[in-house]
Amino acid sequence: MVYEALDFYDIDSLLTEEERMVRDMVRDWVEDRVLPNIEDACRDGVFPDEWRAEIGEMGILGAPLKGYGCPGLSYIAYGLICQELERGDSGVRSFASVQGSLAMYPIWDFGSEEQKEKYLPGMAKGDLVGCFGLTEPDYGSNPGDMITRAEDKGDHFLLNGAKMWITNGTIADLAIVWAKLEGDIRGFIVEKGDEGFSAPEMKGKHSLKASVTSELVFQDCKIPKDRMLPSVKGLRGPFSCLNNARFGISWGAVGAAQSCFNSAREYALSRIQFGHPIASFQLVQNKLSWMLREITKGQLLAYHIGKKKDDGSWIPEQISLAKMNNVDMALEIARMSRDIHGANGILDEYPVMRHMANLESVKTYEGTHDIHNLILGRHITGIQSFTREP
Amino acid sequence: MGVAVLLKQVPDTTAKISISGGKVDESSIAKWAISPYDEYALESAIQLKESGFGDVVAITCGPSRAAKCLTEAAAVGADRLIHILTESTLDSIQVQSLLSASVKETGCDLVMCGKQAADTNSGSTGPGLASTLGFSFVGGVTRVSVNGGLASATRLGPSGLEEVEVGGPCVFTFDKGESELRRPNVRGIMMAKKKPIDSLSPEDLGVNGTNSLVIIKDHSSPPEKQPGQKFIGSESIPEVVEKLREEANVI
Repeated sequence: MVYEALDFYDIDSLLTEEERMVRDMVRDWVEDRVLPNIEDACRDGVFPDEWRAEIGEMGILGAPLKGYGCPGLSYIAYGLICQELERGDSGVRSFASVQGSLAMYPIWDFGSEEQKEKYLPGMAKGDLVGCFGLTEPDYGSNPGDMITRAEDKGDHFLLNGAKMWITNGTIADLAIVWAKLEGDIRGFIVEKGDEGFSAPEMKGKHSLKASVTSELVFQDCKIPKDRMLPSVKGLRGPFSCLNNARFGISWGAVGAAQSCFNSAREYALSRIQFGHPIASFQLVQNKLSWMLREITKGQLLAYHIGKKKDDGSWIPEQISLAKMNNVDMALEIARMSRDIHGANGILDEYPVMRHMANLESVKTYEGTHDIHNLILGRHITGIQSFTREP
Repeated sequence: MGVAVLLKQVPDTTAKISISGGKVDESSIAKWAISPYDEYALESAIQLKESGFGDVVAITCGPSRAAKCLTEAAAVGADRLIHILTESTLDSIQVQSLLSASVKETGCDLVMCGKQAADTNSGSTGPGLASTLGFSFVGGVTRVSVNGGLASATRLGPSGLEEVEVGGPCVFTFDKGESELRRPNVRGIMMAKKKPIDSLSPEDLGVNGTNSLVIIKDHSSPPEKQPGQKFIGSESIPEVVEKLREEANVI
């Protein structure tokens, strides 16, 4: 049956024809390629390489970036791409988020002309895969105290340290690595095959199983001097990447929620108990109406912050709110949808349990739910509460 | 030189169709798409263009919503887009005269379309157009190539695969082809957006808006399939045998 995405407030009518066409292209690809294969990919714990190639062929990587072979689409279009990919699976959206917002974006914004020319066209096509190394085993929400160090050795830099929870790490051709150089956080481009660099895969995940998660290990890793991103210093570098990725997540979560809602609605209409479809019972209707309400609010948040990204009037706290709210509602909807599905909800015949497990990661990465609350708390009160230091 | 590809916009084959007042309720159709066999015609036309043959002219006949399938065709490589704008329901002869007038205007001497549309399944457009234009006709092909002045096509005949060669202008209708349909990409979509659509009325094409001679008088859903019956255990054998004999008349 044709997928009818929930659009209660007719956001569709606010989109340009180009945005709708891009959305439909990605939606068709997800239906043809992801949905029939996602359960196998999860079971095998792989991100199929043909998905990388096909996402590259569609030309959606680094969606809102302009020039250097990048698509130059609106932020709304980027959001729609994330929404459709994540309706398939959060792991597929993660691949695109990391590539576009966390690896291409810092090169595009903070890289030298040579770095942009060298990497961006190949990354836009998906021929080169990037990853983003900020989080460390002991420094997650508190990246400012990272241990990874870079030393200037005259004709090269020497990196030492380790990163963890790095999406795309093992399959990446290059990594954007944030490390301290004489006390300042700087961005470095480390290429696969650089001396002293390895990226072992982390196994045993119950979530984002169709996405590659890795450690990045630097043991006297030697990189040429022209691999440092010249135009950014401090946490502003990684944080501006995260703002873009978080923006994409606020849309992606809507896609996951729509998938769970859709499945719950269809199931409730066809499942007969006590002689009637369970959709006719008030408790089930209450759940479905709560889902519709929350998804609609989430869509409006995502759309509005998308417009603000496009006209440049946004502040990071607004993105924090959208990411936090939408992932939270999507996770709650996944759980509620599982509940409506009864025991069937735990089967891989339905997408809900997979989305639910994925969304637990999405709630945590790119700024945990709680950290986004603290960002908003600081915004409201003017008092930071991340650390006990004054 | 060039290929005219005729595209019909139909309800997506997975869309739910509901009927009200003896008519298909168009407002309830969630998704419209290019008729699947037409998509194979379009793919083949684009392949011909890539092999050095002329431009691809995509033509559709239908209401304003049908313009979308032209933009979709442009996104995968169609060069010129013609929309014959008709708001009323037309019969096959009317559609054929409009399409043939527009094909003549383009000067294309190869025409490609699906062997039948997914909504009406009538299969009359291709042969009818060939007759109106005075072109040759080859139906149910899966592949067309052009070498020199000759077009050759593969079609599934009654006794196996046939290789057909055509000397002059020809209408080919397509079956499900061997080649995989290409997907659009962002670059194609951005180019498609800039491509103008020539919107023509029947009068522009010199075709008078005569009334449809063939009209659909009523529409109803096919009868619902009766639910199956279940019999468990050997004690139900006599009952099953009786039903097979008396109701199903198979023994």
